[in-house]
Amino acid sequence: MKVNDAILGAVFAVLGIAVLWHVQSFPAVHGQRVGPALFPGLIAGGLIVASFALIVQGLRERGGEPWFAAPDWWRSPRHVSAFLLTLAAPAFYIVGVGTLGFFVVSVVVLASLFIVLEVRPLPAIVIAVVATAVIWYAFYKLLRVPLPWGFLQAHAF
Amino acid sequence: MHRIVRALGALVFACVAATAGAAYPDRPVTLIVPWGAGGGTDAVARFFGSMLEKELGQPVTVVNRTGGNGVVGHSAIAQAAPDGYTIGLITVEIAMMHWQGLTDLSPASYTPLALVNADPAGFQVRADSPYKTVNDAIAAIKANPGKFKASGTGQGGIWQLAIAGLLADLKIDPNAVPWVPSNGAAPGLQDLVAGGVEFVPCSLPEARALIDAGKVRSLAVFADKPPALYPNLPTIKQATGSNWTTAAWRGFAAPKGLPKDIETRLVAALKKAYESKEYKDFLAQRGFGAEWAAEGDYAAFMAKADADMGKVMKTLGLAK
Amino acid sequence: MGALETAFAMVFDPYNLWVMLAASVFGLFVGAVPGLTATMATALLVPVTFFMAPIPAIAAIVTATAMAIFSGDIPGCLLRMPGTPASAAYTDEAYAMTRKGQAELALGAGLVFSAFGGLFGTAVLIASAPALAEFALKFSSFEYFWLVLLGLSCAIVITAEAPLKGIVSLLLGLLIACVGLGNPAGYPRFTFGNTELLGGIGVIPMMIGMFAVSEILRFVVDTGPRALIVDKPIGNIFTGMWGLAKKYPLQIFRGNVLGTVVGALPGAGADIAAWMSYAVSKKFSKEPQKFGTGYVEGIVESGSANNSALAGAWIPALVFGIPGDSITAIVIGVLYMKNMAPGPTLFTQNPQNIYAVYLLFIVANLIMVPLGWACIKVSKQILRVRREVLMPIILLFCIVGTFAINNTVFDVGIMLAAGLIAFVLEQNGFPIAPTILGVVLGGMLEENFVSSMIKSDGQLTAFFGRPIAAVLGALTLAAWFLPPVIKRMRKLAGA
Repeated sequence: MKVNDAILGAVFAVLGIAVLWHVQSFPAVHGQRVGPALFPGLIAGGLIVASFALIVQGLRERGGEPWFAAPDWWRSPRHVSAFLLTLAAPAFYIVGVGTLGFFVVSVVVLASLFIVLEVRPLPAIVIAVVATAVIWYAFYKLLRVPLPWGFLQAHAF
Repeated sequence: MHRIVRALGALVFACVAATAGAAYPDRPVTLIVPWGAGGGTDAVARFFGSMLEKELGQPVTVVNRTGGNGVVGHSAIAQAAPDGYTIGLITVEIAMMHWQGLTDLSPASYTPLALVNADPAGFQVRADSPYKTVNDAIAAIKANPGKFKASGTGQGGIWQLAIAGLLADLKIDPNAVPWVPSNGAAPGLQDLVAGGVEFVPCSLPEARALIDAGKVRSLAVFADKPPALYPNLPTIKQATGSNWTTAAWRGFAAPKGLPKDIETRLVAALKKAYESKEYKDFLAQRGFGAEWAAEGDYAAFMAKADADMGKVMKTLGLAK
Repeated sequence: MGALETAFAMVFDPYNLWVMLAASVFGLFVGAVPGLTATMATALLVPVTFFMAPIPAIAAIVTATAMAIFSGDIPGCLLRMPGTPASAAYTDEAYAMTRKGQAELALGAGLVFSAFGGLFGTAVLIASAPALAEFALKFSSFEYFWLVLLGLSCAIVITAEAPLKGIVSLLLGLLIACVGLGNPAGYPRFTFGNTELLGGIGVIPMMIGMFAVSEILRFVVDTGPRALIVDKPIGNIFTGMWGLAKKYPLQIFRGNVLGTVVGALPGAGADIAAWMSYAVSKKFSKEPQKFGTGYVEGIVESGSANNSALAGAWIPALVFGIPGDSITAIVIGVLYMKNMAPGPTLFTQNPQNIYAVYLLFIVANLIMVPLGWACIKVSKQILRVRREVLMPIILLFCIVGTFAINNTVFDVGIMLAAGLIAFVLEQNGFPIAPTILGVVLGGMLEENFVSSMIKSDGQLTAFFGRPIAAVLGALTLAAWFLPPVIKRMRKLAGA
């Protein structure tokens, strides 16, 4: 996912400008000389300056290169789905763990990732179940992290 | 094989027991602490956690939900299900942060269980400071408004209210001592010893190691009676005539709407832990102060604290 | 019986040794899992120590934290996923060594010099605790301001290949540090009404996302042939250690001294020590161009610095009850509970207790060598596991580890976002280490600046008004402005 420096520079410059604009609304603080706006403002200012340097650098070094070079894996559906699933896994955990509980979410996340990475289905499910049990034991029982039970709450042990 | 059969048996039994509506508590209880691991609040929570575990017969997991000067953890307690499986240790900040407009939560957002501890502020100066009494310090502040700085907590924190409230009560401009925000009492005390600030009105247990090391001196305590830790320390009233007191307090609370039977069960367990010899030893070792009020009394205590804090914060311009 | 004999008897008591062994295993495990830190290991030990005598209670904490700081190196080296923030500074270096087939050298250096750093810090603790604590107490916000600024300059040193991109990366980190209520004004910045954001963006979810999740993303899109990254089995990790010790005596000494001093300063711990000494190592190296390509010199120096910082942090904690880092903040509470109130009297009234604490440090750092060796033996097996099986399991570890920090799925979201951003940035040549450094130091920089401005009534000259501050300020400015000036003069002289 090679993007020309000028494009990233523009993105950061926009971020810097947005921050600089937003901090104008921060109030002065009673009894303090330096308000909450100063530091983010200075950092945003620095970011804008550095971003423009990046833009200049990107334009100078561009030559004949495209603005955006698609990597090899974009043309491989298997790799794209693995990439998207890796991002989807934590997202699924966030939305699902409260209602479905740790066991279900963990087994689903592991098994689906295994399968998209071309582990055969049966071992994938077996390893997913075993790994879930081990992680649950280490964190829930030994480290006392309150991993949610979800709908299995009534059967918690 | 034997073991698996036995485990399955236990599992089936557990399920049956659960569906039969076993008495509270039949699974682990989570105890939320809005402050970091290692601090005074955390120590109190972990102490009661281990006592409640014995009393309730279920594991009690202490969970630190830090950040946002306590707002994050206090919100987590209030938003949990009121089933008795999530309780929390709330602190004096619950009576302060809604005045600053940081949250809508107030003491009324909880089912109060029991107040277990309160630590009054002390008026601390450097050991080589010229001030021998609070009156000396007050006179110097009056003569040089804005010159002397104080620290020991963040902007608008409890210890800032201690000194500002005292000044206001003595009819001195509370802004005569500018507040240097710090990330807790320890960095404030460090700055006091390093010569960065002149006063640190933090609690006595927080200052205790440096007082005992001869680096810091406490001039008076912001309470009605001398503290157990330093029985010879004068109170603010004895030293200045002002009735102003400030203490950081901690008490257990559950989300609003807790069933009455569970509330009674928890308060009974907390009372037993509070009255134990272990708690007395714990308090003595940490230098913490004991304070008990349960349910209705505790609610009244918090309501009064809430009103007092609001009044001072408005005079200081800290309230929205 | 004299105090020293009593101390020996307490430490070499079978129960105590058993506690130390159990704490070692616990510490090694916690350190090796990304997301679980040495601080967390300590917090989890607190309820357990309720039921112990004072010496075993302290033994458990000392041993577990020393092991955790070392074992954080292992996943960093083998998988490019630092186990604790203290290992983040040299993770890339160690991983580059693993790819070159030098995993044993990287891990061996990490282990041996960690143990050595711990022993050095202990020696300083024994010899000069009161004097050094006295010095550390002279630091007010002015001195800290300069110290943090000096730490930030490290970001520029460690990313000399792409300085502009390093600066952008650092600025992003500093901006992230601004989020939340934890600023001197107590004003909620960039929170958009979200309660979780009031607490700010934690450095640990950031770190796990930027190192571990981005590494997993890189793996799943790798279209090259599936091969084990290490073709060569890991040999004897102790081979060549003596050679390294002879080759880098100055670096080891410097790392140890810097680590102990940074550790002894309240508020700055093992992670900052590792960053600073890695930068110092590169700055003064005869071969700075080799840094980042899998070169052991920086690991030797910063690996020993983070462990010596651990002992250094106990100095102000024991003498004045002021925590040197987040671990000793918890330790102080335990000391009070065990009737060993910190303060000068701790050294005079019951000297056997303090001798026992010294001994615990020595024993913990000595048993680290065999136990760490065993731990490396076990963990190198993970390299034999097929990566398509290993990576999803690590992802789940990251999720659960991130959740465990604060018991909120919000942090899992931070981890995910940080992972994706780091992936895109790295594909485009941006170093990610400066972002982490910015998040670590950003809050401290602002706090100390604002505090100083209030104290000095807005006078900037006050930043040079105290002797130590003046020296630190001069050093910082010299580090920034001398190199370009010298370059200029050389050019002029040449022309």
